[in-house]
Amino acid sequence: MAKRVKTDIGTAAAVLDFDTELMLRVKEGDGASFGVLLEKHRSSLVYFLYRMMQNHAVAEELAQEVFLRVYRSRSTYEPTAKFTTWMFRIATHLALNALRDGKNERAQDRLDDDTSDMPVRQVSDRRPSVEQSMVYRAKLDEVRRAIAALPEKQRVAVLMHKYEEMEYSQIAKVLSCSESAVKSLLFRAYETLRARLAHMA
Amino acid sequence: MNCPLDTRENTQLLLDYCTRKLEPDSVAILERHIAICAACRELARGQRAVWHALDAWEAAPVSADFDSRLYRRIEAQVPWWTLVVRPFRPPFRTVTLWRSLPALAMACLLVVAGVVLERPAGAPAPAATDRAQVDSVQPEQVEHALDAMEMLNEFSRHVRTDSPDSKL
Ligand SMILES: [Zn+2]
Repeated sequence: MAKRVKTDIGTAAAVLDFDTELMLRVKEGDGASFGVLLEKHRSSLVYFLYRMMQNHAVAEELAQEVFLRVYRSRSTYEPTAKFTTWMFRIATHLALNALRDGKNERAQDRLDDDTSDMPVRQVSDRRPSVEQSMVYRAKLDEVRRAIAALPEKQRVAVLMHKYEEMEYSQIAKVLSCSESAVKSLLFRAYETLRARLAHMA
Repeated sequence: MNCPLDTRENTQLLLDYCTRKLEPDSVAILERHIAICAACRELARGQRAVWHALDAWEAAPVSADFDSRLYRRIEAQVPWWTLVVRPFRPPFRTVTLWRSLPALAMACLLVVAGVVLERPAGAPAPAATDRAQVDSVQPEQVEHALDAMEMLNEFSRHVRTDSPDSKL
């Protein structure tokens, strides 16, 4: 772990953030660095995929596939982008394929009964009443349906913007489009969400 | 300032304002405009409501056995011939191809010898698919697979301790 990683300074687009450096160590055979990357990004990746697929088991399955692909690609990895950009590009590709394969239909079927694994937010010291829990779950259900109803790319853009706090430029790289295209996606997505969710204020 | 709602590009300013991504100077200018523009005020209110609603959507925690399941899947992908040469691998690295040439040569020799010895004299040549499998074992592949085995050894030590089946 202690050794410095030799990087190709000539790689013009190299972005040597810490994650990228870890991945370069993985490329050189350092398994511990893979463990660090897994620890760092496991949760955000699973949460992103969960919100895309709206099914916890499918999200974990896809997240495993993402890490498997990261691992398998280690020998050919080149730091041409931030590690997270690369990782989320793989994740988005897998999620969109899974949605097109119809996993989303099964996920949609479960929208009504897949809220049992969701944490109920406790807003005061007291346990929420049955009524409060029901109201919370109803609101949650509305949010999930609103997100699920967005076109795929708008959904990806919103999830990365809202929950991953990605910059427009990074979302653009993940989606392989321009920054202005991302802004346009987000504008339309939030317009739709405002129409559906603004009353929840 | 002109109303940001006049152009889609500038509407982004309002979204950035609601997500607190705007520079303080721009915030001050925009807030002066919002104070006198009902349309922008309404959009900002709606956007904050959306933000608040999305905040409520928390994801369930990741399963405790996520890492161990992943490492098992990685290990399952290690090719069969790596298992043959595993005992000849030095316990630690740093590995470069030239340094490990003696071990690699020995490993390749054993793999080939094993294939030859297992076939009785006069037995038919293996099917094309079998032959392709043996022929396709290149030193680089052996090297990659050996690297993978070493990494897996390290992975095993890094499986989360809170996992119920953390020992691979
Ligand atoms: Zn205005």
